[in-house]
Parts: sequence; structure tokens; C-alpha cells
Amino acid sequence: MLRALHFAWRNSVRQPGRTCLGVLGVAAVGALLFDMLLLSHGLVLSFRDLLDRAGFDVRVLATDAAPLSGPRIVDAEAAVAAIARLPQVEAAVPVSIRNAEIVSQSEGARPIRVQFLGADPNARPMWTVIDGRDLSAGASAGSPLLVNRALAARLGVAPGSTVSLRGSCGPGSAALPQMRFAIVGVAEFPFDDAAAETVAGPISSLAGLCGDEPGSSVDMLLVRSNPKDGSESAAAAIRARLRGLHVVTNGELVERFSRVEFSYFRQISFVLATVTMFFGFLLIAVLLTASVNERLGEIAALRAVGLSRGRVVAGVLFESMMMVGAGAILAVPVGLALSVWLDGILRALPGIPTDVHFFVFESRALVSYAWLLGAASVGAALYPMRIVATLPIAATLRREVVG
Amino acid sequence: MTEPPIVEARHVSRTFPMAAAPVAALRDVSLGIASGEYVAVVGPSGCGKSTLLHILGCVDVPTGGEVLFHGRGVSSLSDGDRSRLRLRELGFVFQRFFLLPMLTAWENVELPQAEAGVDRAVRRRRATELLEYVGLSNRAGHRPSELSGGEMQRVAIARALANRPRLLLADEPTGELDQQTGGQIVTLLDELHKDGTAVVVVTHDMAVAARAHRLLTMRDGQIVESTSR
Repeated sequence: MLRALHFAWRNSVRQPGRTCLGVLGVAAVGALLFDMLLLSHGLVLSFRDLLDRAGFDVRVLATDAAPLSGPRIVDAEAAVAAIARLPQVEAAVPVSIRNAEIVSQSEGARPIRVQFLGADPNARPMWTVIDGRDLSAGASAGSPLLVNRALAARLGVAPGSTVSLRGSCGPGSAALPQMRFAIVGVAEFPFDDAAAETVAGPISSLAGLCGDEPGSSVDMLLVRSNPKDGSESAAAAIRARLRGLHVVTNGELVERFSRVEFSYFRQISFVLATVTMFFGFLLIAVLLTASVNERLGEIAALRAVGLSRGRVVAGVLFESMMMVGAGAILAVPVGLALSVWLDGILRALPGIPTDVHFFVFESRALVSYAWLLGAASVGAALYPMRIVATLPIAATLRREVVG
Repeated sequence: MTEPPIVEARHVSRTFPMAAAPVAALRDVSLGIASGEYVAVVGPSGCGKSTLLHILGCVDVPTGGEVLFHGRGVSSLSDGDRSRLRLRELGFVFQRFFLLPMLTAWENVELPQAEAGVDRAVRRRRATELLEYVGLSNRAGHRPSELSGGEMQRVAIARALANRPRLLLADEPTGELDQQTGGQIVTLLDELHKDGTAVVVVTHDMAVAARAHRLLTMRDGQIVESTSR
């Protein structure tokens, strides 16, 4: 085995140009394959991480429509109270997201449209405060408000500033009164895209902004299950208690997105990975076949000298594995660098949350990558191995001399 | 009781299927090579000399007749057994040397021993001895591309002797060499024979053939004359 490996190594380095070409070709193909494997699950993993980071593992909605795209939950206060009483539940938080406009005090200036996230100020926040304080900490002159970084920059505001907002909550919104908010901090919101302008405040303030009765209706209830029971158990308990509502765990939500919304990326990665593999397979098969065909006389002589068929066949297989192995190792850093670049391009698309990544490294992808390239190295070597295995020794020696 | 031949061909024929018509390269050839013999096979091109050598060397199988090695039929051996037989009992020298270009002279000589599982220290000593034997101890670290034709053929002979074969088969060993260098190779074959190795050499060169103790003349796939000296 070691002798065969050593022999394959010497054979590989005897034609450095061709070997380098093969290794670089495999590296290019391998980098693309690696990226496709990262892409195939990257979005799902990233989405899962995004959901988990919010600190809630069950979502309760009015229907099975995607969150925030369906009807609102009515009598939300009672629903929250009922859920919070369940032993499988640690916390339940109502959340509403509505549009609003920041009304400028300057004459003739156009209002700035923002998304207002209303939540319980005393619950665990779904955002990360990067400047100032959170909604619950300390008292403020008006209703407290957090703004995201983009909006803070656009308005030129900081903690301590005040802004006036008007709800944009459907027909008749123009008649709604303005409300004054005190900016208490600047925060990052996990589902914001690069251009998003988001604010967050108490859910009661949002109800007031839209002229709703506080606690009457919300978009979603976020639930944190009791750790010892888990999300599945909590979801089952909520379903049993509130039969009219749609309950979904993070896992189910990820599974649904993976099956429907994200399947596009999985299909693309599958097709591109298959094409990439095919080109890699062809490259190695052609290089090895050409190499073997050039050495037929030498191989026949080795067989005549007494090297076994298995030994010369193994030599070809090891050559293939070495070339693919070297290319595959080189491909990993190249693929990682390429994935960072491609990820940046995709994340710049409108509507994509900045915290979502399309290419996410996971050890499973590395294992799949190794298996796929290993299989390609064996598959590509099959034809040249067959040439060597079935080589007629005497006829080849005769042909070499005549040639 | 006389010692049985190392290799024996009994009524051997070899026909190659061709598109136009089958070509009979060997027709009912019988001969035996005894231990320590020195045999030359001569004849015009295409008379079947190399085919006979390949069949005696177990790299080809006859379409008729039988080949015995130490009295045992070769046809019944598996490919692996025939490889082992070639590795341990036979030495091949080719017209075009067929040394491995990426290995040094020393490594080329060591290769068959490594394949036979010879201990590293033993095979190193043997490779060194053999290169000394063929007069190339000072060229051991050179690759074939750095050697002359005569030197390459001497390395090929050393490689053929690596596992102490009973029989050395040489196919036109001087075919690619000038007269002077060819003469050195013939001298080397003489020495090998004197040291007890049976030698069968296929050649066009009558000067090479004249060194053998038995001269076989072939024509149209048959041995038409056998002369012993």
C-alpha cells in the first residue's frame, strides 16, 4: 500500500505541468462544489439561528399564513394570559408590527415611512441595543422609542432626541393623531434588511398610534417554552388550549421554509453541484486516461517484470486520489473566500435581513464534500483502471517496439 | 535422473485473430530451456521470435499446446500466480529498456525486490551489488534520462536480475544500441550465463547469437533449425 502510494506520488510529480493543471482544475471545481454544499443548507441554518436568537421557540398566529402576512389575533390579552398559565410555557409576549410615518417639523418635508415593532417593554427584547438604553430601563419624557442605525443616521438623532409619529395602519390613517416619542436608544433588529428603517416601542404605544384598543389585537404571540418540556410539548399544549389559533414551533417554521420558500436555493445548489462534479469527474478522467495511454509500454513492462495487475491498477487509483485530494484541500480556503464574496452579493439584495447568510459553514458540508470528491476520484479512475487491468502485456510490448 | 527444464513448450501454437484472416505467429513449437543454458533465437522479422519469448516468459498464453514451468502447466495458473512467477523466477530485458523515468537507476533495480517483499536492508544491498556488477555503481543516483542507451540497458539487466531469476529472457537487447555498446551488453550476458543464469536471447544480430550455446532458427512460426555448440 505504502509502496503503491509512493509510486503514485512519483508518477504524479514526473509530469508537474499536467499534475498542477489537474490539481488547479480540481481546486476550482472543488471550491464551487464546496460553496454549493454551503448554500444548500446555509439559508436554513441561518434562518434557524435568527429565529432562535430572538429567544422564543413557539409562534402563535391567527392562521397558517406566513407570520405578519395574515389576519391578526383578536382578544390577544386573553390569549396571552391563557398561554402564560400553561406549565409548559415560561413566557408569552404579544407582538405587533405596523407601518408608521415620522412626521417632520420642517415645512413641506415628506414624512419618513418606518416599520414600528410593538412589544412588551418588560419582556426579553428581540433586538440588540447598541447605543442608549432599552425600552424598559428608566423613565423618559414621552413614550420610549428605539430606532435602528439607518434611521438614526438619516434623521440625525441620538438617545435623548424626540420624534413625532403618525400611524399608517390602514384606511382612515390620515385622521390619526401624531404622537411624540422619546428616543431612548439605537438598536439592531434581526430581521432588518440593509435599507430597513425600523423603530420599536411599547405595544400599547403602537395601539395608541393606530387608534386601537390596547390588548385587542396583535400580529403574533411569541412563546418561550419551559426548557424541561421543550417547544413541541409547549406547542401541543397551546394547540389544545386555543384551538382556533395556529401554533408553530421554530423547527416547524424552518422546516416549512426549507421545503417551500428556500427550496429554490437547494435546487440551484443541487444542479450546480451536479454539473460541477461532472466537470471535475471529466477533468480527472481525461487527464488520467491520457497519462495512462502515454505509459502503456511502461505499464506492460512492469507487468512483465512481475508487478501484479492489482498493483498497477491501485497505482492509477492512488494517482487519481492524490490529484483530487490535493485539489480538494486547496479548494476549501478558496471556496470559503468565494462564499464570503457571494454571500455579500446575495445579502445585498433588497428585503434580505442583514443577519441572514446564504453560505454557512457546517462540518456536515465538509464531510459531504470529502465524500463527493472521494467518489469522483474513484469514479474518474475507473476507465483508466480498466485500461490498465485489461492491458495485453505481450501485444503492448510488441506494439511499442514496432511503434 | 536428468534435471527437468526450467521452462518447456510442448507443441505450442499462437494465432492472432486479425480482421482479414487469423495470423499464426507460432506453429507447433516444442523446446525446453534447461538450467544454465544459453540459447539464442534468430530469424527474419515476423517469424515469431518475440512471440515465443513472450510465451516462455508467461506474458502471453498459447492458443494451442502447453507451456510448463518447472514441470507445472502455466495455463492453469491465475494472473496473480503468473505475475508472481515472473517476479521471482524470470528476468526480462527489453529492446527499449522500459525503465521508469521518475526513478533513479538504483530505485529501478530495487523495484522488483520491493514488489517481492524483500527486506529493505537486503534489497538495498542487492541493488548496490547489482549496479556494481553491471559497472554502474557511480551512476546509481541518476535517472534514466541522464544515462546513455548502453547504461540504461545495463540498469535494465540489473533490474531483471534483482530477484535472482533462474531464467533471463532478452528481446533484442542490443537493438537500440551501437555496435560497441551492444558488445558491452553481450559481454554482460556472457558473464550472467557463466554465473549460472539460463539466458534466452532473441536477436537479429548474429554476433550476439554466436555467443549462445544453442542457436534456434525460426521461420514462419516454426523452429526450422537447432544448432548446439
